[in-house]
Amino acid sequence: MKLLTKTNRYYLLLTTALFALAGVGLYYGLYAALRHEVEEQLGNARLQLERRAAAGEALPATPFEYQLSVSPQPRPLGYRDTLLLDPVEGELVPHRQLTFRLPVQGRPAWVTLRKSLVETDDVLGVVLTVLLTVLALLLLSVVLLNRWLSQRLWAPFRTTLVALRHYGVQEHRVLEFAPVSTDEFAELNGVLTRLTRRLVADYEAVREFTANAAHETQTPLAIMQAQLEQLLQLPEMANPQLAGLVTDLYQATRRLSRLHQALTLLSHLENRQFVAPAVSLSLAQLLRDKTEKLQPLLEARDLTLHLHLAAEPSGLHLHPGLADSLVHNLLQNAIKHNRPGGSIEVRLSPEALEISNPGPAVSGDPARFFERFQKHDAASASPGLGLSIVEQIGRYYGFRVSYTFEPNGSRHTLRVVF
Amino acid sequence: MKLLLIEDEIALRNTLVEYLRQNGYVCEVAGSFEQALEKVKLYDYDCVVLDLTLPGTGNGLDILRTLKADGSRAGVLIISARASLDDRLTGLDLGADDYLTKPFHLAELNSRLRAIIRRRQFQGHHHIAFRDLVVWPEQAEVFVREQPLTLTRKEYDLLLFLLTNPNRVLTKEAIAEHLCGDAVDAADSFDFIYTHLKNLRKKLQEKGADNYIRTMYGVGYKLSFE
Repeated sequence: MKLLTKTNRYYLLLTTALFALAGVGLYYGLYAALRHEVEEQLGNARLQLERRAAAGEALPATPFEYQLSVSPQPRPLGYRDTLLLDPVEGELVPHRQLTFRLPVQGRPAWVTLRKSLVETDDVLGVVLTVLLTVLALLLLSVVLLNRWLSQRLWAPFRTTLVALRHYGVQEHRVLEFAPVSTDEFAELNGVLTRLTRRLVADYEAVREFTANAAHETQTPLAIMQAQLEQLLQLPEMANPQLAGLVTDLYQATRRLSRLHQALTLLSHLENRQFVAPAVSLSLAQLLRDKTEKLQPLLEARDLTLHLHLAAEPSGLHLHPGLADSLVHNLLQNAIKHNRPGGSIEVRLSPEALEISNPGPAVSGDPARFFERFQKHDAASASPGLGLSIVEQIGRYYGFRVSYTFEPNGSRHTLRVVF
Repeated sequence: MKLLLIEDEIALRNTLVEYLRQNGYVCEVAGSFEQALEKVKLYDYDCVVLDLTLPGTGNGLDILRTLKADGSRAGVLIISARASLDDRLTGLDLGADDYLTKPFHLAELNSRLRAIIRRRQFQGHHHIAFRDLVVWPEQAEVFVREQPLTLTRKEYDLLLFLLTNPNRVLTKEAIAEHLCGDAVDAADSFDFIYTHLKNLRKKLQEKGADNYIRTMYGVGYKLSFE
């Protein structure tokens, strides 16, 4: 519900309640004032009559019998309400009457003075009409005023909202606003600018940190590896014991470097540190190239790979490096966890990329396969980051990566749904 | 062949210079952005080996831009410890010939350098001779004692890699990564190198070539002069 509708609803409730209260007060107040006035007039008439009676004059004749009646019989004294039939309107009209005893020419008489009260429903009618008209006018003007104000005063807020809606966190830019005169909106814009500046600074810090960490780690590794390679060229390496030691060191260096590269990639993915634009590329072509590259590995393990490239997913834009990593890790996984002579089926459709391979059932929760350092064989030299990378790339682009196992053909399937 | 090696890490630079000189390159070095800028402005090189992170007021990409702006004919090979995928794309977009991520195999560096220089300088009129073997890299043709030899793609790549680094022990890791791309998990792929080498040796022997591919047990292979 709009803020304006909400405030209007409270306005409506409040004014209606106030007006109802005012209506009741006005009605009873008017009524009481009228009665009081009528009683005063009746009292005055009585004084006049008493003065005439004291002077020994006869009571005046009145053309309207119901306004003044004299009776020799006793009547209850004092003010009373009564209803009399109005002969013209043909309906009962409320009257106030005053009865008092008056000696008229030596004999006692009971005189009753009457005066018409305004009809209750007339008073009510007037009060309601006036109040409702004012209420309606007030509400209408409040609504119109609010609508005008909301267009005028809330305009900077809507501008801010539009800017926020179009703000992408991965753009890493500070959100700047034009100055506004309303304090609250100026403050809101200020807070947002500070927030985005903070975001940008944090991102820069993380980016720099990972870049430096990568550089500072890979450089000594590069030195170690180059020196070890040079060491391997020395004639002394004819000694198999020595060569074995150096080779072990060399392999460990490679492993460390590989691990570090994978972790750097994961951290880049998590921090969305890819500036280069995603391009429209052919996944089918990429799959063909990668398969060709990995052919020696397939042959060595007696594996067959079938590509079923039905159609390209349309409108798919990927970072070339990430697309390469995604496909590579999926294929590598299918090769690694295969059995000798097994087959790998690669299916590409506009909806999904699916890679399946035979292999023994794996114990453990399939959801955990995507966690870091999860490896099927604890003794394996691979750090177990391949599927994490696949999952993270999927998450980066909003793809759903899932794993299924069919016990029948004992096939593992990894699906990337675009 | 005259090279400029731009690398700020002294230990790595010394190893690389030693290795490159062993392989017959004339190698000059620069250790900072300013030194590098001065050298590329003053002298001509066949190829520049360029580290991206440099001390000084600029980085490797700025050197690359300068080279391209000056219309330099030197090939450019980027070596970087920044494993960022973006750096690779930017470097290649700016006109670098190739990109190697540190750490790399020395043999791989040499192989890439040779490929760059071949592409830039010989326009196909170049062959590599080794004992009774002649290879025309642009045509991918191999002759043993003047007889053509038919090899599979991977066998040919393997032979060329060995030929680019003669008389040097090439580790199994370096060979595996050269053949399957550097992302391949070498520990899982040693068996295929063995298969390919076995086939290559057999084909060479059938044509009467000497057995000059030596197995260095547990380490790798070597194309031997003896």
